[in-house]
Amino acid sequence: MPVSFIVQMAVSGALMGLVYALVAYGFQLTYATSKSLNFGQGELVMVSAFATLSIMGTGLPYPLVVLLGLLFGALLGLAVERTGVRLALEQKSEGWILLTIIIGLFLFSFAENVWGRDDRPFPTPISSQPLNILGIDVTPVELSVAVGVLAVMLLVEAFKRTTLLGKAFEAVSADRDASELMGISATRTVMLSYALSGAVAALAGILVSPITTVGPTMASALVLKAFSVAVVAGLESGFGVVVVGLFLGALESLASFYVGSGWRDAPGLVLLILALAVRPTGVFGKAVIRKV
Amino acid sequence: MLEVKELYAGYGLSEVLVGTSLTVEAGAVVALIGANGAGKTTTMRAISGMIAPSRGEVLLDGQPVQGLPASKIARLGLAHSPEGRKVFAPLSVEDNLLLGAFRHLPRFFGFRKAGAADLAHVYDLFPRLAERRGQLAGTLSGGEQQMLAIGRALMARPKVMLLDEPSMGLAPVIVQEVFRTIRRLKAEGMTMLLVEQFAQAALEVADHAFVMERGRIAVHGTPADLRRDERVVAAYLG
Ligand SMILES: Nc1ncnc2c1ncn2[C@@H]1O[C@H](COP(=O)(O)OP(=O)(O)O)[C@@H](O)[C@H]1O
Ligand SMILES: [Mg+2]
Repeated sequence: MPVSFIVQMAVSGALMGLVYALVAYGFQLTYATSKSLNFGQGELVMVSAFATLSIMGTGLPYPLVVLLGLLFGALLGLAVERTGVRLALEQKSEGWILLTIIIGLFLFSFAENVWGRDDRPFPTPISSQPLNILGIDVTPVELSVAVGVLAVMLLVEAFKRTTLLGKAFEAVSADRDASELMGISATRTVMLSYALSGAVAALAGILVSPITTVGPTMASALVLKAFSVAVVAGLESGFGVVVVGLFLGALESLASFYVGSGWRDAPGLVLLILALAVRPTGVFGKAVIRKV
Repeated sequence: MLEVKELYAGYGLSEVLVGTSLTVEAGAVVALIGANGAGKTTTMRAISGMIAPSRGEVLLDGQPVQGLPASKIARLGLAHSPEGRKVFAPLSVEDNLLLGAFRHLPRFFGFRKAGAADLAHVYDLFPRLAERRGQLAGTLSGGEQQMLAIGRALMARPKVMLLDEPSMGLAPVIVQEVFRTIRRLKAEGMTMLLVEQFAQAALEVADHAFVMERGRIAVHGTPADLRRDERVVAAYLG
């Protein structure tokens, strides 16, 4: 078996892994402001992808379709916050766990009824003709995943670091009460984080669907992997989810080739179990990321 | 400037404030003193909206604000430097200060420039903060964190400032510095409500003082009045 082939498998897998990283990043965004997360995030990815597919059916130009898809995701994120999270947080209860799971189940059956149970192709103007880069074949669609994921994460991090509203975001995650005393509305900041998280989920769907197709079952597969990534990387480090995502993606691709395609999901689960057993706060804790 | 009328508030089922009333005139420094657990912090929390009063009124510049969210009251011009300082530990000193000015700075870009004059004022007041502007607030000493908490409240250009035990847990020299700052702010015309355990020192800067006992105001008057009140002297100034 030539080494270049192994590298090839690892690279394609790693690019897919960036999608897990992006979904995990969506968890981090809401966790930062509210210490809550949407367990139905996978369904948000899936429903947003289906919605984007429907918008595409109207014949609008592709960039506009993507934009509307992201907007749809953001609105869905806001809806999750309003229906599943806000009241629970106000009562300082953990009710959001059950509620977001239920919202996810609802979205799943909603999607099955509206768009059907079958997987559907997701057209894209980006080419699937492989390019040869340093001896490795990469398709522009795969590259678009990497570019899209990294670009949106850098954009959000830049927002947090360079705008006052972004700093307010950090202030709310540091001390909700003190932020309120500065005139920062914690409720609105949490809403913003859910909107961002929803848009990020939609982007994940739009990026991955041309490769994997769209179907109701994509939700559970994605969310499990994203969850593994988030647990291993911790809920604070954006850098961490990228590294772990790349690693998990590569591992999956190699496992499915060498052990058998039925074993594709095994690395994620093993990683999740190991992480929970060894380092419940994540490998990339605060101390590490400060140095990076 | 700030008027509290017959305020009732508490935590869950336990009512702590039972008809608290007090007034802070524009430009005045008003001291609120009383034993531990009397309800001073609760009064400040009820004024700034951190807890919602169940009855009574809070008038800020004549406008009723009771029941509004804390962020709304802060945007109307009330700055509350809370007990325990509550600086944003993972953010830099300068970011903490800029966030203090959230109510009047642009939300996206250009906020550094718009906040430069306020920053300069705070750094002039607390040169130590200027030296440490890039440092994370969580790494400051207790005294520096207190200066940051006061500076952050000032950044809002508030109509009224509430200071809850600014000298708590600080070394005597730093306590003196805190009181020097309060005097200077008073000279600049800042309206303040000050909660202090050092009742003597508080009375020296205050124009008027309220003594709180079990959730309501027991006595109030000018510092001179209170110093003549035997019961107050025995309980708080002895
Ligand atoms: N978060 C809280 N939850 C429940 N009770 C509280 C809380 N904070 C203060 N209390 C109670 O309210 C009363 C008044 O406290 P506080 O306003 O902090 O007094 P002071 O600031 O005058 O020392 C005390 O009996 C205290 O135990
Ligand atoms: Mg107190």
